[in-house]
Amino acid sequence: MKKRIYGIETEYGLLIKNPEFRLSAVEAATQIKNHIFGKSLGVLDLHYRANDEPPGNGGFLVNGGRLYLDMGHLEYASPECCNLVDLITLDRAGDMLIQDAIEDLGWADDVAMIKNNVDLETNATFGCHENYLVSRSFQFENRDNLRMLSAFLVTRQIYCGAGRIGACNPHPFRDWDGHAPDDSETDAVNFQISQRADHIPNEFYRWVQYNRAIVNTRDEPLSDPSKYRRIHLLVGDSNMCEYSTALKMGATALMMELIELGAAKPEWILADSVGSMRSISRDPEFKWEITLADGRHTTALELQWEILNAAKERLTGYTNEADWVLKIWEEVMTDIPKGPEALVGRVDWASKWWMLTEFMKENNLDWKDSWLKSQDLEYHNLNRRDGLYWGLEEAGMASRLSADAAVERAKSSPPQGTRANGRGELVRALMKSQAAYLIDWIGFRLNKEEPFLMLDPFLSYKSDIREYLKSAAAQQNPFA
Amino acid sequence: MKMTPDPTRREEKKESSPDREEKGPSKPDVSRPGKDDLLKRMKKVDPKQSERYKQRTGQ
Repeated sequence: MKKRIYGIETEYGLLIKNPEFRLSAVEAATQIKNHIFGKSLGVLDLHYRANDEPPGNGGFLVNGGRLYLDMGHLEYASPECCNLVDLITLDRAGDMLIQDAIEDLGWADDVAMIKNNVDLETNATFGCHENYLVSRSFQFENRDNLRMLSAFLVTRQIYCGAGRIGACNPHPFRDWDGHAPDDSETDAVNFQISQRADHIPNEFYRWVQYNRAIVNTRDEPLSDPSKYRRIHLLVGDSNMCEYSTALKMGATALMMELIELGAAKPEWILADSVGSMRSISRDPEFKWEITLADGRHTTALELQWEILNAAKERLTGYTNEADWVLKIWEEVMTDIPKGPEALVGRVDWASKWWMLTEFMKENNLDWKDSWLKSQDLEYHNLNRRDGLYWGLEEAGMASRLSADAAVERAKSSPPQGTRANGRGELVRALMKSQAAYLIDWIGFRLNKEEPFLMLDPFLSYKSDIREYLKSAAAQQNPFA
Repeated sequence: MKMTPDPTRREEKKESSPDREEKGPSKPDVSRPGKDDLLKRMKKVDPKQSERYKQRTGQ
């Protein structure tokens, strides 16, 4: 598919910085969410979406995205975007909507929104889910397709991991899987390059909590199921570096393109994907050795070079965006052997590793000092005044893809070229109406009108939605 | 699509693939003019805040 839809869903952590603060984390997240909808930036759901998603739990935004509480976490789902610049811009707009609300509420000194995926004290994890629209011909039944995708995902962490202090064993989900965690193994890990690697016990699975998989096989296209499939990945980390997010999404989309074209190679399949995920992430020497299913010994870096070279051979000139992704993919791959310092501002784990090691040198600390865990968290703080990632931007060390003015605009404007554009218009109209509504990703319904379906995510549906709203207004005058 | 050039990046791009015999990445000579400000920012971080960050498991 030359055209593709991208989306990112981010579950945020919330840190109460002031021990005297009067609200719990969940109460604070609820107020932040309500404040955003109170600023006329979206409409709250009037209906149950699930047992744990009652009316008012969340809603759609005028930028076409969605904000809600999920299992106690504030979560922002970007609108559907048809290019990487829009995706990065809308992703950051979500971060800023939330940070703006914290500032508006006067909580900037008390509450920090943390865009990471682990709680280093209890080892709870929460996700950053990636969505890619692929054609229905991308066969899930063909397990080799999934194994090749898995090999790519396991090894891409060398440039898109967010990094973390320490390690943990995944929480056992099934009683019969219960085993005493080997603490000596995790205690030996000072730093690893991925936040999620420790929490992925399966190669393929449909569930999204506890028994997570490298490739999530849930079939929920949220579009015409005869044409499309939505690949929903929960294996990746939340990124602060825009460059890393763009490379993660862009390179993964190219890998899917290779699979769709039949140009991915079975010799890339790993002998043990889950084990490699963890061993790559935890390797203190960044050698990232792996074994392939055919018995070949290689490294994550070399396997990524093989995939990149196959992508260059097949996809150069495919689209402007493909050419750009191939370029930045090669740049990063070329720089990785120079060491983490050479990747500062482009790759999160490397930026964090460099900052932590400099801080340790300066203050004569070692990796076991608990201050480093707090530094790790602070890297992901959305507050520009305090967050460590923002220090990289301030120092001119972080590569940017989005423009601040575009991010500001994207807080209240949907992207062009997808159905999010029409949805944004709908949400804006509903904010001024008394109509009863039910909105979902694939359509909406007003009052007792027939549902309006938006099965093609590449269409804006804008003029049809305007007509529909006019017709509904004429019949029931809900927009008077 | 254009990336904003990073003026602090000093290393030169090489077109070679990695050497399999290398023992991991080597340390380049990279000086960072903004490092002191970053370290000051890090110094302000509450050393105990990680203990207060207790989250629910999500998806």
